[in-house]
Amino acid sequence: MEIDISGAAEPGAVGDEVAQGDRPARTAGATLLEVEDLAVEFRSDDGALRAVDGLSYRVEAGRTLALVGESGCGKSVSSLAVMGLLPPTARVVRGTARYRGTDLLGLSPTKHRAHAGTHVAMVFQDALAALNPVHTVGYQLTEALRVRSGTSRREGRRRAIELLDLVKVPNAAQRVDEYPHQFSGGMRQRVMIASALALDPDVLIADEPTTALDVTVQAQVLRLLAEIQAERQMGLVLITHDLGVVAGVADEVTVMYAGRAVEHAPVHDLYARPAHPYTRALLRSVPRLDAVGDDRAVGGRLPVVPGRPPAPGRVPPGCPFHPRCDMARDVCATDVPPLDDVAPGRSSACFFAAELLGGVRA
Amino acid sequence: MPEPVTTDTATSAPDDVVLEVRDLAKSYPVRQGVVLKRTTGHVQAVDGVSLALRRGRTLGLVGESGSGKSTLARVLVGIEKPTRGQVLVDGEDVSTMSRGARRELRRNVQMVFQDPYTSLNPRMSVGDIVAEPFRIHRDAVPRGGRRRAVAELLELVGLDPDHVHRYPHQFSGGQRQRIGIARALAVKPRVLVCDEPVSALDVSVQGQVINLLEDLQDELGLSYLFIAHDLAVVQHIADEVAVMYLGRVVEEGDGPAVYGDAHHPYTRALLSAVPVPDPTARPAEGELLLEGDPPSPADPPSGCRFHTRCWLARRLAEEHGVAGDGPEAVPERCRTEDPVLVPLGRRGDGRDGGGDDEGAHVAACHFAREAATLGAHPGPTAQASPGPGTPPGPDPDPDADPDPDADPDPDADPDPDLEPVPDRPVLESRER
Repeated sequence: MEIDISGAAEPGAVGDEVAQGDRPARTAGATLLEVEDLAVEFRSDDGALRAVDGLSYRVEAGRTLALVGESGCGKSVSSLAVMGLLPPTARVVRGTARYRGTDLLGLSPTKHRAHAGTHVAMVFQDALAALNPVHTVGYQLTEALRVRSGTSRREGRRRAIELLDLVKVPNAAQRVDEYPHQFSGGMRQRVMIASALALDPDVLIADEPTTALDVTVQAQVLRLLAEIQAERQMGLVLITHDLGVVAGVADEVTVMYAGRAVEHAPVHDLYARPAHPYTRALLRSVPRLDAVGDDRAVGGRLPVVPGRPPAPGRVPPGCPFHPRCDMARDVCATDVPPLDDVAPGRSSACFFAAELLGGVRA
Repeated sequence: MPEPVTTDTATSAPDDVVLEVRDLAKSYPVRQGVVLKRTTGHVQAVDGVSLALRRGRTLGLVGESGSGKSTLARVLVGIEKPTRGQVLVDGEDVSTMSRGARRELRRNVQMVFQDPYTSLNPRMSVGDIVAEPFRIHRDAVPRGGRRRAVAELLELVGLDPDHVHRYPHQFSGGQRQRIGIARALAVKPRVLVCDEPVSALDVSVQGQVINLLEDLQDELGLSYLFIAHDLAVVQHIADEVAVMYLGRVVEEGDGPAVYGDAHHPYTRALLSAVPVPDPTARPAEGELLLEGDPPSPADPPSGCRFHTRCWLARRLAEEHGVAGDGPEAVPERCRTEDPVLVPLGRRGDGRDGGGDDEGAHVAACHFAREAATLGAHPGPTAQASPGPGTPPGPDPDPDADPDPDADPDPDADPDPDLEPVPDRPVLESRER
């Protein structure tokens, strides 16, 4: 995926907006980014395919929001929309994404990318594809700085070393002149994080940042992200399918299915008592290391959800999850359940959420 | 498979072993230069691995990338030739056989690949894909019965037999993996080598494929070598588990022993890194046992290959007064002496597999007993077992333990090997 995250198309347009210091301080809990009722469609031979449908979330300073879901649920597409990085075949059909009050989606594409690229940064899953093999790591790290703030090369190199130090790449002063292929997977992901931090963004969106890494390296990268976030009071959006990772780092969780948010909850509540059958099914179907004496740990069959997530454009009517749901009743096939509040700080798009919450956890 | 441990193998005889490797090694030359390609070294992808897979059982293979898991799999199914060592199918050495006999034996060991998107030819119909192995193993199924065999295979893996004329792109990831499994089963193998068979699949689909593999094992009496980086999945499906690091097996044993009572510091570190889907079990600060990436297999560290990243070696060195040498200081023995796999005392869980060697719990660490007792973080699988914390006094088997230096009590007997070592070139970070 070749994506221009620097928004370099029109450097002059934003030069003065980037000046450090004229930005309000980040106080923990302050709302930085608010996405409301976002809908994204893809053009295709079969007509418009709705990839994201009415997604809302809020990112607060110093907090981590996890967007969880399986492939095709719209978690990545929604972030690309916020960043202004949607491919040409896709367009935002509805909704707002307010960054400190400014609706990014209402800006011109160039201004959108520049604004988002400065204050909201993104880290992608595949660091090798996201880095340019013919430039040194240091050059790429400070590309944004040179473009946005007109930093000189020498100053840029100094900043690059600082950034590599920040993400704990050993021997930063030497490695700044090396090329991406000379870095291991974990180190490349650190470089990606460093380059996302170059402009000191308010919000960092990390799209499956550790999926390609070994568990040992994953643990290191997740810890690094958490440390940097705590230090800078950034808002972090973590996009992942891994419920183990979510449990380790998230404060709030939004579970997505077929382009919609089906449940939102503080992380402890979600794991203790899911309020949507899909969340419950996801939690049940993972074999887990700590399930001692549980059938799932050794031997017994995994309780799986039949079928698979629907592809965009093939979302069933009514509740998108109803064909796979063990609680589905007639109403689920005809009516779309809205995402309603079910408890303080929690919402669920299931007609029977109260039942799930009231019942003893299975 | 639902029976977790050894209930049916009390009488396990050697002929129960369907696939075995002995001292297997595979190295690749590293060449430099464009015109005159000179061999400048070797990457030891697999270096002296011995494993045995028994009938109807699953052997899980775990380790970080670069540990040699996949190379081992490729040697087992014959994609690669070993540099050293033997592969035995049904007790017969594959390399000394005639071509015909070898092909017949190879038929018994088939492979399921990781990526269901690239391991199926997009230009072949599903029926042709599943029937392709018949072109090599012509006598596996009589010619006239192949069409029916394909339909049966598709049905067996939970696909609609009417879909034989469809092409791979018309199927989802999970269904494609089922096609890959059907193809592997076409020639009626007894062993399936599964290399990361579910890691490319969605969470809710992973479970379906795992359940399918378990059902097939029960139904057909298959043996699996199951390679995965997801330790929870391996814990779920495997009877025995081998942990690999830089081309070597560093710990092996039955699942509960390796997961619940890990003795090698690397195993413990791996387990501690697995994220647990429970926010109340969030790891505390400073709990990471493993830093950095594995060193390059082209230039493995001297002595114990794990010593450059070993938390236990550093801790032991610290406790013996060489902390001033920096965090990389490790006992000299770890840097100089290559540890061998040593049998450990059995766990007293009452479910041991009798006296057979196959299920024995072994680890290759000079200080394995300290790893088990010292580890402040027994990993997420900490069980209320008599393992960590209890004095290891009664369990060491005097005949089986050729490692008298692995004294469990570091205070009572200051190990002479634990002197500070001034030269540390070996200890540099090899992390690239």
